[in-house]
Amino acid sequence: MSRGNHMADLSITSITKRFADTPVLKGVTLEVPDGEFVSLVGPSGCGKSTLLRIIAGLEAPTSGCVAIGGEDVTDIRAADRNLSMVFQSYALYPHLTVAENIAVPLRMREMSGLQRLPFLGRVMPGTRDQRLHISQAVHQAAEMLEIAMLLDRKPGQLSGGQRQRVALGRALVREPAAFLLDEPLSNLDAKLRVQTRAEIAELHRRLGATFIYVTHDQVEAMTMSDRIAVMMDGEILQCAAPEIVYEDPNDIRVAEFIGSPKINILPVERVGAELQLFGRSLDWPVPNEGPQFMQIGVRPEALRLTQTEHMLTGTVAHFENLGSEVFAQIALDEHAARVTLRATPAERQMLGLGTQVGLLFDSAAALVFGADGKRLRKVEASAHLISEVA
Amino acid sequence: MAVLDANASEPVSKGVQSQARTAWTLTAPALALMFLILLVPICVAGVLSFTNYSLGNAGFDWVGTENYERLLTRATYAKMFVATFTYVVTVVPISLGLGLGAAMLVHSLGRVGDIYKTIYFLPVMATLLAMAIAWEFMLHPTIGMVNRTLEMACDSWFEVIPFFANGCADRFPLWLGDKDYAIWVVCFIGIWQGFGFNMVLYLAGLTSVHRELYHAAEMDGARSAWERFRLVTWPALGPTTVFVVTISCIRAFQAFDTIEAFWPQGGGPNKSAYVMMFAIFEKGIQQNLIGIGSAITMLFLIFVMVLTLIQRWLVERKVHY
Amino acid sequence: MTRDWWKHLVLILGAIIVLAPFYMMVSYSFKSPGEIDRGEGGFFGRQELMVDERCVALRDPNRDEIAAIAPQYPGLSDNDIRAVIIAEAEAACSMRPVAFNYSKAFTEAPLLRYLANGVTVTVSIFLIQIAVALPAAYALAKLKFWGREAVFGLVLFCLLIPVHAIALPLYIMLAKLGLTNTYAALVVPWTISVFGIFLMRQFFMTVPDDLIDAARMDGMSEFAIVWRVMLPTAIPALLAFAIFSIVAHWNDYFWPRIVVTGNRDLFTPPLGLREFKGDGDGSFFGPMMATATVIVTPLIVAFLIAQRRFIEGITLSGMK
Repeated sequence: MSRGNHMADLSITSITKRFADTPVLKGVTLEVPDGEFVSLVGPSGCGKSTLLRIIAGLEAPTSGCVAIGGEDVTDIRAADRNLSMVFQSYALYPHLTVAENIAVPLRMREMSGLQRLPFLGRVMPGTRDQRLHISQAVHQAAEMLEIAMLLDRKPGQLSGGQRQRVALGRALVREPAAFLLDEPLSNLDAKLRVQTRAEIAELHRRLGATFIYVTHDQVEAMTMSDRIAVMMDGEILQCAAPEIVYEDPNDIRVAEFIGSPKINILPVERVGAELQLFGRSLDWPVPNEGPQFMQIGVRPEALRLTQTEHMLTGTVAHFENLGSEVFAQIALDEHAARVTLRATPAERQMLGLGTQVGLLFDSAAALVFGADGKRLRKVEASAHLISEVA
Repeated sequence: MAVLDANASEPVSKGVQSQARTAWTLTAPALALMFLILLVPICVAGVLSFTNYSLGNAGFDWVGTENYERLLTRATYAKMFVATFTYVVTVVPISLGLGLGAAMLVHSLGRVGDIYKTIYFLPVMATLLAMAIAWEFMLHPTIGMVNRTLEMACDSWFEVIPFFANGCADRFPLWLGDKDYAIWVVCFIGIWQGFGFNMVLYLAGLTSVHRELYHAAEMDGARSAWERFRLVTWPALGPTTVFVVTISCIRAFQAFDTIEAFWPQGGGPNKSAYVMMFAIFEKGIQQNLIGIGSAITMLFLIFVMVLTLIQRWLVERKVHY
Repeated sequence: MTRDWWKHLVLILGAIIVLAPFYMMVSYSFKSPGEIDRGEGGFFGRQELMVDERCVALRDPNRDEIAAIAPQYPGLSDNDIRAVIIAEAEAACSMRPVAFNYSKAFTEAPLLRYLANGVTVTVSIFLIQIAVALPAAYALAKLKFWGREAVFGLVLFCLLIPVHAIALPLYIMLAKLGLTNTYAALVVPWTISVFGIFLMRQFFMTVPDDLIDAARMDGMSEFAIVWRVMLPTAIPALLAFAIFSIVAHWNDYFWPRIVVTGNRDLFTPPLGLREFKGDGDGSFFGPMMATATVIVTPLIVAFLIAQRRFIEGITLSGMK
């Protein structure tokens, strides 16, 4: 069932959408090559579901265009776009069995209206062969999703996870140009979610089809995607591979959204040609021009406990022992906000509540952002260069 | 320990006992009335259906199944069954279809549709007898609005249709005086009065259909309104439909007001509108033939009960997903 | 938006058919007999003065009366005198058609009394229904007793029995008790509303047990709990049921027709209207339509004011 053609390249250009006077999408552009798994991630209300529906054709954009395989489909209705969608609520037809649910798209496409009539349809010529062919396709899809034994049940008799697979089956049985998934895991319990995540990623590898996946859970996005598109307030802030979005974010909002626990943001000030953190110099030379107030982001795993040369001091305010690692929240002496530190189990002893600790981090690991949130790579570059030389 | 337990159990059972006593006291009036007003009359009717009793007589004779035999053989009662079933079989599907159609139209119009909802529900609230009399006058052969409006179509292209051609040449039907039209007029009034009720029930059903199912249907390739109706709307309205059919059938069986208002004696020209409730009234009350009246009552009850039980069975088994 | 024009077209055609008899009924209640016959005058009729024939006929003098008045009209023959008197009568008996119709509606038959009967009967039925149904519903919903399932099963069975269906044996039983032609006969068969019990039970089952236990701890008897704890929480459901009950019984024609035969004083509004029709000749159509309008108006007006409640109430049976 894999494919390698370019018939399914998806192209979204300058899509805007307003509901009454409220802009929901403010000019979104995205190119999705055939076969890629792209996640649209962002907090609630950022417009990701709306974008997905516009791609599907269930909503029309205020301006902009959607193209599939090079063809402009903006004015084409959803039923004709050859896309499949898995809805958050699964939207299974309650009166049909699992097999009949999965068969619906094929029946709609391959059988005429007359052939689909309940009794008369069976008598029409060619119906038998079609029904056989459809039945085979349904079985194949059910086997792939391991729901073959549920084919005679109705959705009301299935568990949440099983219903989700039926929804997947209904989506994949048509071999569409792309799969659109709208938060498919959000109604499952945590354990099932982890398991299903892997299965969806596996499905993607097997099918080799384009997947566009909407979620508010950045863990899902990180673990399953070829690329992540981080959306906020109706715009795509960055669209890149997970490791790039994590290690090299364009915007402070991306840095804060991706990664759990959240990245630590600290204010820094440029005094002359050096950066100061809470009045203490960081030994990072920077160009003697540009903004005065900036922010740096340091991931919890980049912070280290130190007894000697510390850049930050504070007391342990909260403590989370996850077994394989330990997260401690440190209330800084010089700052209102707390920072989160990832420590090894061995360091647990040093992190009793109320203990005074010193923290240190590599300048190479710090991400520099301007006061407006944009990443300042030039500033970083000079800092890293000097530290390497040093 | 044992002593403690023994003491502890006493107040509990006393509490339960007194609750039981109170419960019986609270339900006693309802039980008594159910018994007296609903159950006893059924038995009375059942017993009397095997007699030739008349109110005012000192005694009665047992006539076995003679009453029932009459019901199944005499021409008058054949007409009764025909009239009743014609009415039910006509009114129920049409008022269901109209109710569903109106509901779907009104639902798709949003707030604007509310005015139609109000208008269509008016006949349900209005005293049927009063409106039937209004209809009767509208259907007057000469001065009634209906025939007058039909006459306006004379001398125009409408005369292509045979109905108009005959009507203009000769005269338009007498409606209530015509044995071919009488039952249909009664059906029409029944539909007119009832479809608003069905519409409201279907409106409630339509609002509970999951919107996303329509989106799923669109993605699956259901392009036309008919496809969406078949795939999503109609199945979702299953329980509502079963309910509407049952209620409409039971009300249709109980049709009386219109018939008695139009034809106080006789049940329509050539008994073409001689429905069961009217027959019970005529035979049992007016003609004081309690025996046969009771027999019709029993048959009626059986029809109604069977209908309702079928509805319950359907709802249990087929229509709940 | 404009794609919907055909929907409006269809719905408006339907509305015309639905409203036609209402229009006609109200319109003819404004018109004179002549206008009704000829089908003219627009909605309100021209409201020209008309002459009440019966009123004139009542004043038609006989010979003795003519003789008695003769001295006032010297020189005129008997016929001429009669003509004068008739002319005076016609002047005195002329009025606007709408006044004629509505006044006749209230004077030819005691319409006010009928309306009062309607109110009495409807309200009594509802109140007794509540008095019977609420305690039973509470017991079925919240109290434990060994016969509970059986009683509820009985309720379900009785739901299958429409009261109209057993009208005949009920009539016989009432006749034997000598209760025909009484208010009791109009009210009693409806006092047991199995539907009401069913409905209230469903509703009561959603009331948290804690509320009731708290009341018990406060020392309330079960009886007091029904009226002081459950009733207030059930007001919405009660309102809907009230509407359902009142509409059904105000409009009921079948049962009163059976059970009230001799005593006009007991007529409910539909019976009053029927009586009008029964002995009216053609010229009384105006007053008859006026009576019909008067009977139909209260519920229609109430409906227009509180539409949502009405629709809830009438379709309550749907929530089974």
